[in-house]
Amino acid sequence: MAGKSAFNPFEMAQAQFDKVANLLDLDAGTRELLRFPLREYAFSIPVRMDDGKVKVFRGFRVQHNDARGPTKGGIRFHPQETIDTVRALAMWMTWKCAVVDIPLGGGKGGVICDPHNLSPREQEAICRGWVRQLAKDVGPLVDVPAPDVMTNAQHMLWMLDEFEAIHGAKYPGFITGKPVGMGGSLGRTEATGYGLVFTLREALKELGLRPEQTCASVQGFGNVAQYAIELYHQLGGKTLCVSCWDQADQTSYSFRKSSGIDLRELRSITDRFGGIDKGKARERGYEVLPGEAWLTQEVDILMPCALENQVTGDNAGGIHKRVRIVAEGANGPTTPEADRVLQQRGIFVIPDFLANAGGVTCSYFEQVQSNMNYFWEKDEVLGKLDVKMTSAFLAVSDLARRKKLFQRDAAYVIAVNRVAQACKDRGWV
Amino acid sequence: MDAAGAGWYCAMSDPPPTDEKSLAALQERAKELACLLAVEGLLRDTTQPLDDVFRGVIEAIPPGWQFPELCRARITCEGRTWQSPDFVDSPWGQCAPIVVQEHTAGRICVHYVREPPAAADGPFLDGEVRLVSTIADRLGHYLHQRNLERLLMDFGRDEARTAERPQAAWRGGLELVRQTDQNLYVRLARKMVNFLCWSGVREAQELMQRHAGNGEGGGEEPDNYPRRKLSLAPDFYRGTEPFELAARYLGDDEIFARIQRWMFEDRAKFLVKVLESQQSSLGEIADALRRYQQIVPEDSSLSRATLEAMKASLINRFLTEQLDFIKVAKQHVDVGAFLDLLDRMIFPATSHGKLGGKSAGLFLATQILRRAAAALPDGAEVKTPRSWYIASDALLAFMEFNDLDDVIQHKYKEIDQVRLEYPHLVQLYKNARFPPELVQGLSVALDDLGDRPLIVRSSSLLEDRLGTAFSGKYKSLFLANQGTKQQRLEALQDAVAEIYASVFGPDPIEYRRDRGLLDFQEEMGVLIQEVVGTRVGKYFLPAFSGVAFSRNEFRWSPRIRREDGLIRLVPGLGTRAVDRVSDDFPVLIAPGQPRLRANASVDEIVRYSPKKIDVINLETNAFETLELSQLLAECGAEYPALAQVFSVVRDDRLHKPVGLLLDPAKEQLAATFEGLIVDSPFVARLHAMLRQLEQSLGTPVDVEFASDGKDFYLLQCRPQSHAEDSVAASIPKDVPRDQVVFTARRYVSNGFVPDLTHIVYVDPRRYAELEDQQTMVAVGRAVGKLNKLLPKRQFALIGPGRWGSRGDIKLGVSVTYSDINNTALLVEVARRKGNYVPELSFGTHFFQDLVESSIRYLPLYPDDEGILFHERFLLGAPNILAEILPEHAALSDVLRVIDVPAATGGNILRVLMNADLDEAIGLLAAPGTREAGRLAAEPVLRRGEDDHWRWRYQMAERIAAEIDPVRFGVVAVYVFGSTKNATAGPGSDIDLLIHVRGGDARREALENWLDGWSLCLAEMNYRRCGYRTDRLLDVHIITDEDIARRDSFAIKIGAITDAARPLPIGGRVADPIP
Repeated sequence: MAGKSAFNPFEMAQAQFDKVANLLDLDAGTRELLRFPLREYAFSIPVRMDDGKVKVFRGFRVQHNDARGPTKGGIRFHPQETIDTVRALAMWMTWKCAVVDIPLGGGKGGVICDPHNLSPREQEAICRGWVRQLAKDVGPLVDVPAPDVMTNAQHMLWMLDEFEAIHGAKYPGFITGKPVGMGGSLGRTEATGYGLVFTLREALKELGLRPEQTCASVQGFGNVAQYAIELYHQLGGKTLCVSCWDQADQTSYSFRKSSGIDLRELRSITDRFGGIDKGKARERGYEVLPGEAWLTQEVDILMPCALENQVTGDNAGGIHKRVRIVAEGANGPTTPEADRVLQQRGIFVIPDFLANAGGVTCSYFEQVQSNMNYFWEKDEVLGKLDVKMTSAFLAVSDLARRKKLFQRDAAYVIAVNRVAQACKDRGWV
Repeated sequence: MDAAGAGWYCAMSDPPPTDEKSLAALQERAKELACLLAVEGLLRDTTQPLDDVFRGVIEAIPPGWQFPELCRARITCEGRTWQSPDFVDSPWGQCAPIVVQEHTAGRICVHYVREPPAAADGPFLDGEVRLVSTIADRLGHYLHQRNLERLLMDFGRDEARTAERPQAAWRGGLELVRQTDQNLYVRLARKMVNFLCWSGVREAQELMQRHAGNGEGGGEEPDNYPRRKLSLAPDFYRGTEPFELAARYLGDDEIFARIQRWMFEDRAKFLVKVLESQQSSLGEIADALRRYQQIVPEDSSLSRATLEAMKASLINRFLTEQLDFIKVAKQHVDVGAFLDLLDRMIFPATSHGKLGGKSAGLFLATQILRRAAAALPDGAEVKTPRSWYIASDALLAFMEFNDLDDVIQHKYKEIDQVRLEYPHLVQLYKNARFPPELVQGLSVALDDLGDRPLIVRSSSLLEDRLGTAFSGKYKSLFLANQGTKQQRLEALQDAVAEIYASVFGPDPIEYRRDRGLLDFQEEMGVLIQEVVGTRVGKYFLPAFSGVAFSRNEFRWSPRIRREDGLIRLVPGLGTRAVDRVSDDFPVLIAPGQPRLRANASVDEIVRYSPKKIDVINLETNAFETLELSQLLAECGAEYPALAQVFSVVRDDRLHKPVGLLLDPAKEQLAATFEGLIVDSPFVARLHAMLRQLEQSLGTPVDVEFASDGKDFYLLQCRPQSHAEDSVAASIPKDVPRDQVVFTARRYVSNGFVPDLTHIVYVDPRRYAELEDQQTMVAVGRAVGKLNKLLPKRQFALIGPGRWGSRGDIKLGVSVTYSDINNTALLVEVARRKGNYVPELSFGTHFFQDLVESSIRYLPLYPDDEGILFHERFLLGAPNILAEILPEHAALSDVLRVIDVPAATGGNILRVLMNADLDEAIGLLAAPGTREAGRLAAEPVLRRGEDDHWRWRYQMAERIAAEIDPVRFGVVAVYVFGSTKNATAGPGSDIDLLIHVRGGDARREALENWLDGWSLCLAEMNYRRCGYRTDRLLDVHIITDEDIARRDSFAIKIGAITDAARPLPIGGRVADPIP
């Protein structure tokens, strides 16, 4: 921050937008509107600490664009939160909601604080204080918060409780990320992994591949990966290799079985964090290979479902020539250099932003159910998720094909276009 | 009572009959003796009603006579009569007067109701005649005793009777004393005169001089001449003059109180005598203590000085001879508490043993907490598990009984010999027999303890001493204690024998040798303690246990102060909390700030919650470590205090379980102790106890504790121990400015990080200026690679803000624990930005990993006033990043790697951290002077550790010198790695690099020759430190081609960092390779 050239996430998000705006040839007014948030709130939250002293925390909420519906986005508790980070994330939320075509805009919020230094009571006071400051400017029809960095279902319940106390009625649709039975939605655990495979299924169709004739290699064995594999296997596919982090050895390993992994078997020897017990895996006939081995397997599909920056310019060359699809379950698993390699080799990339949108779609479903106070069975949630993800995918791939765009760019173009259109329809620009 | 006792012994020591009436006479003597003993028994207790006692004596008499069926007895005393129901005042009788203080108070008569048969020498045997007078004698003493005690009581009662008649009370009482016990009277009078003299009463001084013969005792004399003795005429003290004098100067109340106290003290004197005598055995002390309890109703009736002397002696005899300990302990214990202790102590008849450190520490802590109970929240009752103690010298008795005395010399043997012989020694001990009195004691203990599992712990006299943290050097053994009494007794003996053998184990002996404690006579107390817990399925375990420290050395938030303390809490047995376990995490709580937790998010809390549990398996009689999930699935419903220990993990949330609906087999549970921390007074109580103990003992403490789900038990208490690396370092004040790399004055923990050879410095300013995220990620990745390349635990990572920052990585370098796990020190730098200073992470992202692997953490605030931060050095020293990580050369601006010896002409970076002062300093110093930073109070020689590399280095030199360059075609020999870097541990190998030029045959011969060395060295290493390896040499053979290509290990030669060091071969140093 000392130099003017320092990395600024908001500037980066604007640059990304500018690139898409150029592709769309957007007019200056629309660009000006979308380059910045519609509204920003910055406020103080005084909290009586456990030791009796008062400490004042800084809170934010940025509502980037609500042309398509109430803004939606997480609340972060972060010790060095900056308004620019929040702005960038709010903008990304606008595009993310638009790409899966759910009627929501983008927002983000946060409080500068470190929960490591706060007791639960103090955190509760911050949550309630945050809502008190914004009670009139958020709500189920205005702006819907959700959990994010260092916040969880508990924080959401505190906030909801405060909001309802202020407004004197029940508004479960005010916030998402609630536990099942307290206004949460079934199917949330499965949503991201299943959503990934719904798009994968469509991609296979498009490439003329039958799922039962394909095989895949997956990085990560957490929630997303496990449910993605589950659904992929139901479609008839076979997973040859998964990798995961080994907490004890502080490194990652790949687990390979050429006849295909048995998901149920692997799950039984996996801890809560997706760490597979390597001794037990070996006993069950899995080859234990170095962590990066998942990437070089002879498979049709790669699903990076772990961390960002995993497929890089350095290792992308090692991807087997058989690979046709990379479905990004993680956020930003592919670096720009790697992107270029994939593009050159004609590998079909389902971009993160679309591929892992199952989560945000399910949040939208939670809000819908909360608003009507009627909660669906899991099948209904997942069925509706399938419809949303499939049509989102089709729109993106259709555009990519028609305009000869890389999938990632096509997804952005669609998203920005939808938002721009809504602004115009409303007569804003 | 001494005089009375003498009479008793007299009767017994009469010359035995020497003539022919042998057998019958002996039988008669036996009867007489039994009679006397019975009477003696009755007279021991002076508090019984006189009626009961005399009636008992009358019943006890006939069996002692030759014709018991004819024998009757009568006692007349002070106008009253007690007699056998059909007593007849027949002519066949004998009487003896009962004399109390030279007055005849009554008489005792023994009569036969009719003429006995065979009464040639009169109706009674000689012995019987003597017996009557002995009994009369005893009765006389007994009555005197009673009178005295009544006197004392009367004194007491008079005191209660308002102040109107105190004068009469003390005068009357004193007169009674004068009549009944002249000696006591004289002692009282003497004390009174002394007291008056000390109080400055001139007349008393004159009185003393007047009665002191020549009357000039007060004159000034040179100090170095013996003072003239003032003979004190006893007559003077027999009169009333001293008290008349007192009456003039002191109030009646005071005189009364003084006399009463002196009389009590007089009564307690025998105990003081027993305690002061080095000859008295534990048995004698126990007896004296019991008598004392009967005589002196409350400690408070004695003067402070007498009490203190008695307590000091008791502590000295039972607990420890350490003066520091005695000084503290005597303020907190009651004399009576020792009696409870004695009841559960097992010792040889003539024992002079002690309890040992562990037992003593626990005893003292319990006493302190009992006294302070009212001040603790919720009136917390502190329980200790039922315990038995084996006195320390029982070990010697055991050895003597088995002729194992020569084992004592064992400790003076070479350590490798000790190690070799130790397994044999253990078996020897286990096969030895216990002396009967110890077997008896253990058997009684087992009856008392029942069949609950036991822990048998060593309680050495060296253990837990201030400054000598001997913990873990001796054994603690768990016993399931199941089966028949005989099986249980055998298992207990086996365990005690093993504990005894551990005194001579190689590790304690080496440890003692290093600290100059070898010559200390090592007696070992043993503590046999019931294991706290309940049965769960086939297992036995406490609901939770742990260790608590009154000072927190691992603060994870700047809001936590050192005084907030630290608790390490685990489910099950506390073994997993006491030691750092590499594969699991205890729950950390700062009792002063219980809600500020090291882990905040649900994922963190679950990840760093205990996954394993130590239990006793009652079926296999074994100590076991189980997966917690396995135990819960098997018998979770029975787990004690389930709702306090576990939280349910559901929907990205931790729920405190509510009521009966919790099904441990179905739900995912995490041991968070949330219910215990939030809903129970546990943390507040423990915190109060820690503070109380720290205050009373005058030093920070650590305690071990456990709970069966209902009650809280204290298991151990000792001065807070430090791992060797977390002792407070002394901070030198006179370091030249240019040698200081940084100083710190905020949130400093204890630590001593010696000899850092490398610094990895991420320049905060440049890092903040990085333009894109990719470069920031790259910095993290480069750090991860350096972590693997740089010498382990010999480098420091210094970087901006928050190491391990996730999400917004502008705040700190994005690394995971695996990227930093080899560092010795993690430093976070908070540079002022505009008008604010960013918050640091305190290592929270991997805090518990840091704690468990002893990586030190230090926050730096360079912009604070008075803080030195040698930025010029950090930015100016040559950066070797491009050389060791060419692929990351582009990061050289922001990421700097400093080879400290190379940059400073051979110095290293040493970091000294002192939490007491809240100060730390990082300075450049000559390597190897490791001890410089240690406090003098803790003269820990790290000889053992240093030895490992030194010895290896010498061996490497030796091999090089012995190598035949021609025969093997050797050009040069180099040493590198831990042997060269002086970091070798017991399990390290010796890395050799051998440059050869020659054919395969020569090379094979060389390899064979080296293999021989390798085998021998491995064996030697085993004997030195007990570390078993197949080979000790790790030889890398390189050729000219390797060197030309700078291939494989050849790069070590002349490397920029951590270069291999050439060794002289055949007296010639290797030519440096260009």
